[in-house]
Amino acid sequence: MNLDPEIFRQFQEIGRDLYEASLISSHGGNLSLRLGDKLAIKRRGAMLGRLQLDDIVITGLDKPDSGVVLASTELVVHRAIYRRTPALAVVHAHPRTAIALSLSREEIVPIDNEASYFLHKVPVVAAEFASGSGELEEKVPAALAQYKIIMLRGHGAFSIGQTLDEAFQWVSILEEASQIIAAAKVIGEPLVEYRKMSDAYKRW
Amino acid sequence: MLGWMGQILDVNLSTGAIEAHPLDLEMARQFVGGRGLGARLLWDLVDPRLDPLSPDNVLVFATGPLTATAFPTSNRFTVSTKSPLTGTILDANAGGFWGMRFKRAGYDALIVRGRAPRPMYLEITRTGPALKPADHLWGKTVFEATAALGQGRARNVLCIGPAGERLVRIAAIMNDASRSLARGGPGAVMGSKQLKAIVVEGDQHLEFADREYFKFVVYESSKHLKASPLTSQALPRFGTAALVNILNLFGALPARNFQLSQFADAEQISGEALTDQFLVKNTACWACPIACIRQTRTARREGEGPEYESIWALGAACGVSDLETIVEANYLCNELGLDTISTGATIACAMELVQRGTIPDGPRFGQAEALPDTIRSIARREGLGDELAEGSRRFAERHGVPECSMSVKGLELPAYDPRGMQGQGLLYATSNRGGCHLRGNMLGPELLGLPKRINRFQVQGKASIVSLHQNSAAAIDSLVLCKFCNLAVAEEFFARVLTATTGIHCSTGELLQIGERVWNLERLFNLRAGFTRADDTLPPRLLQEPVADGPSKGWVVHLEEMLEEYYRGRGWDRDGVPTPEKLHELGLSKRR
Ligand code: SF4
Repeated sequence: MNLDPEIFRQFQEIGRDLYEASLISSHGGNLSLRLGDKLAIKRRGAMLGRLQLDDIVITGLDKPDSGVVLASTELVVHRAIYRRTPALAVVHAHPRTAIALSLSREEIVPIDNEASYFLHKVPVVAAEFASGSGELEEKVPAALAQYKIIMLRGHGAFSIGQTLDEAFQWVSILEEASQIIAAAKVIGEPLVEYRKMSDAYKRW
Repeated sequence: MLGWMGQILDVNLSTGAIEAHPLDLEMARQFVGGRGLGARLLWDLVDPRLDPLSPDNVLVFATGPLTATAFPTSNRFTVSTKSPLTGTILDANAGGFWGMRFKRAGYDALIVRGRAPRPMYLEITRTGPALKPADHLWGKTVFEATAALGQGRARNVLCIGPAGERLVRIAAIMNDASRSLARGGPGAVMGSKQLKAIVVEGDQHLEFADREYFKFVVYESSKHLKASPLTSQALPRFGTAALVNILNLFGALPARNFQLSQFADAEQISGEALTDQFLVKNTACWACPIACIRQTRTARREGEGPEYESIWALGAACGVSDLETIVEANYLCNELGLDTISTGATIACAMELVQRGTIPDGPRFGQAEALPDTIRSIARREGLGDELAEGSRRFAERHGVPECSMSVKGLELPAYDPRGMQGQGLLYATSNRGGCHLRGNMLGPELLGLPKRINRFQVQGKASIVSLHQNSAAAIDSLVLCKFCNLAVAEEFFARVLTATTGIHCSTGELLQIGERVWNLERLFNLRAGFTRADDTLPPRLLQEPVADGPSKGWVVHLEEMLEEYYRGRGWDRDGVPTPEKLHELGLSKRR
């Protein structure tokens, strides 16, 4: 099965954007897209910022096939997300400020307008990465059935959308919101609430 | 049981028996309300192979847990039945006030069975439901019957017009005069039961599980409705007719029975032209801040509409560019109780037969003056109108040219040429009620960039998007909300407001899975009714005749490729039958 050039272009553009926005390190992060009962995902070791056509692997959503030989280590999580959530696209990135916040919080509740409007609240999930315990494949999809973006403590963000750019948007907004939270903390002045019913964001 | 009223009213017209049953909470959790609840009740009540116009068919009117809550657009209700036009399972929904009122009368659903020995109407008031003779109303138009039954501030009327009485297979059920449960011929089923109308009065109070959280989600949703130019500017100002120019620009506005993909006179029938020449004001269904309804006036008459699809069907599809005639033809369809899309599209089919010389006489493309009489003749089943009353497929088959019916499973296609929107083509082909644009919203991603733009000609990956949108539409139709709300407010808001209303936690994923469950149950119904993979197709024109000119030039629909991916992605086998694993996952194992 060959990848439609239009779909490859989306991988390439979003991959490049993630790198340039410092939302991933050179070889970090991942992208995948659902294609019926298959998914297209970045090849193990490929750089998202410099994707070539053969860096994208197409493999089954349920059944293992030869694609797994090449696929990224995170394939199991991506598969679990597609099976258990409405996701059609998954972005996994390492937004730095959000990761820092995830180390001390159970959830990130934005204080800026855009993230309040779009995200309301982002939960932090704790699970050991690549432990083989199945914890990650269990907890990440469960959280993503409820929230379109979640933080994995100390590791990074998983976000879902109908398209790669939608999932990318949530990561981008989250990192901006996290930087604003951090900056407000540095400034250290009392915050003036400007949003109606802002207490309810925590309940999202 | 918060969110639901907890009761289903069950009326047998053959015996006159009226009962109320408790709503099964487990069923409500699984299928929610509206379309989902309707499909689930039909599964038990109707043999999918029966004649839709026999007394054994039933009508299920249903509201959902969000109906009447004042969440934006929570005014809607559905009717479910086996369609006399397509033979598939059918649901149609409408806004207005009737659904809200019916729920406040204390019911989640109404089952109508049997056939009355004489014309009757059902009245539900504070003193309870009662069947009453309707001989004096039989033959009356929708507007006449609605007025005669006392439509008012606290009393809402749903009825059929002369078309439904005469079992016209494209007859609508109308509520609040000009709101329409239009597609698939539910009016004919109501007519076959000799039920002219259902009048409701009701003012029961609704309880919420978490009123504060409900208010918060309403507030947040309202922000999105206000921020979207579509729901805050385009729809209020131009109505859905804002789409005429946009679809034409993309080369996806079918003209002359889909022989063309652009209409040269689009400007003359556009939302702008409608606003400039005929709009009196925009109005709204109950609890709707969008207010897309057009109150219009011509030199002779005043009424509601037309919608984009009606303008297209009675205009571009027929090659008609006289907007005043289109506006009045739309009034006429409402008055007689006809589905405007199927009516216009069936007339367009007749026009093509005239153009080809297949039939010697009849309406011709561009002949605006032919519309009113043709529409009346359909509703009255007179002359050629009697043939057209059967819908375009039966009509075209009868004359040996089935390919001239631009329909899927017998339901006339709406106003989007899928050759310029590949996903729309798959959406049409796989729709459980036949050629329909409301089973999922591909207009959003393929043309409007909602929620994000995807290439409209892209084929790979489209199946997944179509499936997701179909599941979403089924969920929204089960809540029941207006699809236009979803142009600005995402499913995650709906899941949360459902949780706040009922107290039963529902995640976004779970809400979409409810939609998937409904979709699969409907599929099972259709399979039992005898439909197969071969029915998941499009008129040959769309598969074989490339668009001749314009922005979609050279394109046909690449259906087979998308269909393969679609079946596999849905967890169906090569014949389009849900696998046992899929049914198990959806809790439908018992229904195999
Ligand atoms: S958007 Fe239009 S059709 Fe939908 S509920 Fe509002 S007024 Fe009614």
